[in-house]
Amino acid sequence: MPGRASDPGNSLVHFAPEVRDPVVYPIRHGINPPLFRVFVSWSDGNLLNVACLQAPSPVSNATARAAEPEADIGGKVVEVRLGEGDGEINEEQRRRIAYGSVPAFAMLQSRRNSLSMMSRMASSSSFRNEWWQHVLEYSNQIKDLLGPPRLPSSSVIEDSKVVLQQIEEPSSLKAAWELMEIFYVDKQSSAWLPERLVDWLAGYDCILARTETAIYSKLVNVQKKIVKIQVIEDDSEYWEGISSALAVGWLDVVVKLLRLHGSYQLDQLGNRETENGLVEAVAVLVSTMPRMRADLPTGKLGQCCKTKPDFVKAWEKWRGHITKLECSAFWVQCGHRQTREGLRNLLQIMLGNIKNLTTSTCHWMELYISHFLFIRPFSTGLEGMHSLAQKCMQLKPSSNSSGLIGVFMGILGGNTEVVLAECSKAFGPWMVAHAMELLTATDDQADILLHEERYNLGGISMEELHRLVYAQVLSSHPLTWQIAPTYLASCSKQGLGLLEVLLYRQSVHNLRVTLKNLEICRLYELENISACIMKIAGVYYWKHGRRGSGIHWLQQAQDEVRLNRIAQQLFECIGKSISDDSFKQWEGLIELLGSEVGTAGGLEFLHKYRDFKRSLQLVHDKKAADAARQTVESLVQLMRSPSTPRRFWLPLLHDSVHLLNWRGQALLNVSETNLLLSKLQELSMAKLHPDFSNFDLPAQALATVRLALAANLRQAILEES
Amino acid sequence: MAIAGDPNLHRFPQPNPVDAVRWIPAFSSLRRLAAAAVHDPDSSSSAVEVHALNPGPNLALRSSHPIPSRISALRFSLSPQKPLLAAAATFAGSLHLLSIDPFEGSIDSELSVSDIAFSAAAVADVDGQMEGREWVSVGEDGRVNLVAVGDGRLEWRRVFDSMGLVEYSAVKWGSPAEFATGGLGFGVQWWDQRKPGGAVAQFKGNWACGNTIGMVHSIDIHPSRKHICVVGASSGTVFAWDLRWQHQPILLSGVGMGDTVQPASESEVWEVRYDTHIQSSSIGSGPTRILPVMMCSEDGILAVLEQGEEPVELLAEACAINGFDIDPQNPSDVICTLEWEMIGILPRSKETSTAF
Repeated sequence: MPGRASDPGNSLVHFAPEVRDPVVYPIRHGINPPLFRVFVSWSDGNLLNVACLQAPSPVSNATARAAEPEADIGGKVVEVRLGEGDGEINEEQRRRIAYGSVPAFAMLQSRRNSLSMMSRMASSSSFRNEWWQHVLEYSNQIKDLLGPPRLPSSSVIEDSKVVLQQIEEPSSLKAAWELMEIFYVDKQSSAWLPERLVDWLAGYDCILARTETAIYSKLVNVQKKIVKIQVIEDDSEYWEGISSALAVGWLDVVVKLLRLHGSYQLDQLGNRETENGLVEAVAVLVSTMPRMRADLPTGKLGQCCKTKPDFVKAWEKWRGHITKLECSAFWVQCGHRQTREGLRNLLQIMLGNIKNLTTSTCHWMELYISHFLFIRPFSTGLEGMHSLAQKCMQLKPSSNSSGLIGVFMGILGGNTEVVLAECSKAFGPWMVAHAMELLTATDDQADILLHEERYNLGGISMEELHRLVYAQVLSSHPLTWQIAPTYLASCSKQGLGLLEVLLYRQSVHNLRVTLKNLEICRLYELENISACIMKIAGVYYWKHGRRGSGIHWLQQAQDEVRLNRIAQQLFECIGKSISDDSFKQWEGLIELLGSEVGTAGGLEFLHKYRDFKRSLQLVHDKKAADAARQTVESLVQLMRSPSTPRRFWLPLLHDSVHLLNWRGQALLNVSETNLLLSKLQELSMAKLHPDFSNFDLPAQALATVRLALAANLRQAILEES
Repeated sequence: MAIAGDPNLHRFPQPNPVDAVRWIPAFSSLRRLAAAAVHDPDSSSSAVEVHALNPGPNLALRSSHPIPSRISALRFSLSPQKPLLAAAATFAGSLHLLSIDPFEGSIDSELSVSDIAFSAAAVADVDGQMEGREWVSVGEDGRVNLVAVGDGRLEWRRVFDSMGLVEYSAVKWGSPAEFATGGLGFGVQWWDQRKPGGAVAQFKGNWACGNTIGMVHSIDIHPSRKHICVVGASSGTVFAWDLRWQHQPILLSGVGMGDTVQPASESEVWEVRYDTHIQSSSIGSGPTRILPVMMCSEDGILAVLEQGEEPVELLAEACAINGFDIDPQNPSDVICTLEWEMIGILPRSKETSTAF
């Protein structure tokens, strides 16, 4: 698509138009300059083949070249590998994800087919009702693949000083996937959307922390400090950490940190009683915060309310407790300034004071989530969420807009195409091809948009387009090409055609690849293609001197035309090499050809020829009349058979001269002898033909045979009369 | 089809495709080692790797030895000895004999033969005698060679050269003088070193109907029944060929002309091996029955076959199982290589599955 690069707005598949710093790949070709010509072409995947040719030297004589072959190579092809991935996910992991998503994808497709078959009878609404659950299952399978699940707390003995579980960092690919699952698939939890977003941020805040300051990095610092510092409550970072954790709803972290407060220590409990009471009161308030969600995983704090009325009731009561504590007289008695201010800040956060929330959060996303927790605990529809996000962004401008944020804003903006474009830009074709299922799971609008056939895409849908793109990516790598058929098969318009191209394109150098190719043909019932592949392989083997394999593969492909051509070449070398003792050499091949008529082209002759030679040998050894008669019968059969090449007529007859001169009786009757004579006549005529080829027979062979036949004829006539 | 796959199978993702895996014959049950033939298509490099299986379970790389070309077959000498001998055959037509320390898992030395006279095409399979002093190799060019360890080098001699008229894809010793080979058209050949000049017996299966290549991929011979070859081939075919009844092979899986035995698989059977773990129900019913055989296939099946009974499926994976090996010391444990760059270990008994 040469025209597309200049106009990114028109491109079917997103590519980044912004020019980054050019990457220089040095090429070590080892050719003496000057270079005459450089050819560049694509190889598999992101490999580039660069061929460098030296200028032909004016005095190029063969002897000079032979003298110093090293110095005068003349040209060289160098492979250049472009790009090394984006760093977060390497090629090996990418392949693992590609492999792992095949069964999930295939299963979803087959479920779709069987469901749509059934719903043709029932209503389409029942299809939708059931469908999203299948997609959810699919989404969970893919999620497992993208990284290990987040475990609540795995250690048996809990260390009170470990407030933050530092786990292996999740990928932003997984974060984006989960985000799409929350918004597009999980119908059940749509009422609890805000809390799902809280959970989401808890899992993936460390991704935000990679590029900008985020609460996660703040808490990592606090974690380091609490191990070292004795009087932690004097430290401002301690209080900042607590308020930040509270702002984004990490209640377990808040309570754990509060319990590290110095007033809990036994030796201090006496003179810091009021202070300790206040800390504990806040800790209790934090841990009883009402949360509208389906369930609370173990280790998480709060008071779980499943329905809105329950929640509103609990919320009012809880807020009442906070205001009461806020107005309490105990604050005056609390002598420790940092504790007093820190705790009151926490109360303000819980009361939803926007100023306190803004100062406690770092990234706009965190501010956004804190809104859901303390200001607007109910979901307000995409439009409201979108405008809120924009407001938060203004309050805390972000310097770096990662792909994840782009996807998030796309989702809130309610524009499927933007979401797709952002996915493609940040995460590539795998994501787009697989996330398509999530987008269409519950959203009818998106379903129509992505499934409608488009004229500008050549009559295919967006869904098919992106699957094809992903299949192309898979096809370009020697390890992943074999999973591309799963995706191509799910493309109703262009898939099969491209599958055929893919199968044709595989080289036959490696037997395993060829067998894999045939296996794919079998799975998709592509008999024509498999016959073609066998023919290609057969010719390849034949040309590389593996004659037995060549013949066998062509035989299995029932390629009469090529077999007949090959037979001519084969007979030529048989004629030269076959004598009675070297027949062993051919035994294996003849066995391989089998004895069934019509499967081996002209080659079935070989089988009969071998049998004839054998019985001839037998006659030679035993000199028995009945064996001789049988041999003669097979001779006549061979001479009658149209598959016996003409070039073998004379050698056959010459071999059987002593049978024709059999003492005592004629083994051939008159009509048989006449047949052989006429063949001989035909042969003498053909001798004048230019391409007549004769084996190494004695010059008088023809005459000997003719004489023997005549003798036999005389004997036969005598016997018959 | 289970998405996450069989929960009993321990999966060990590898950074590169694994072409073959073998248990390393062990001296003690404490240290368990496995060897793998790996290939990196990006750098076109291949190696034989030794991994230690630790509780956890995890598979830790112990040593790696580069091999100049992609490995087509990897075999160990059967008897536990020090050092162990392993042979790796390559697609480039070379044969490499490695000596492996069975305690440390280190690969100490290598002898190789890579002569154009030795093999002009890929060496398809190799098999060693008990102590690994003598090996037989067969190739796509139709050459059958005997390779023996000489004075610090490998010595080889040609047994047969079909000049490309036939090619062989599998080989297995039957006795110190006899071996079996397999090739196209469900063909099996029996050779006797004492009778040179060609195979002493051969068989061609007539099951090859329609678009199937009928290629033999693997042969196994039980040490106590040297006259029977079990053969794994295309189209899910597994059959036993008895030298005493050469024209009546016993079909264990697949679709034959006359009789159809329920196929455990419908695609290439990559490897067959007598299953020493399963006590055959037929022990009492006389020596004519074929002992249980394990097979793995292109369509992801690992199964045990018994004559006259339904196949017992051990695994049904979403991708091909390219090869497997049964631990000679703990025959309940099976190691296999999965097409999607993974090594799998399947413990079949309670004791060993808890040990993992």
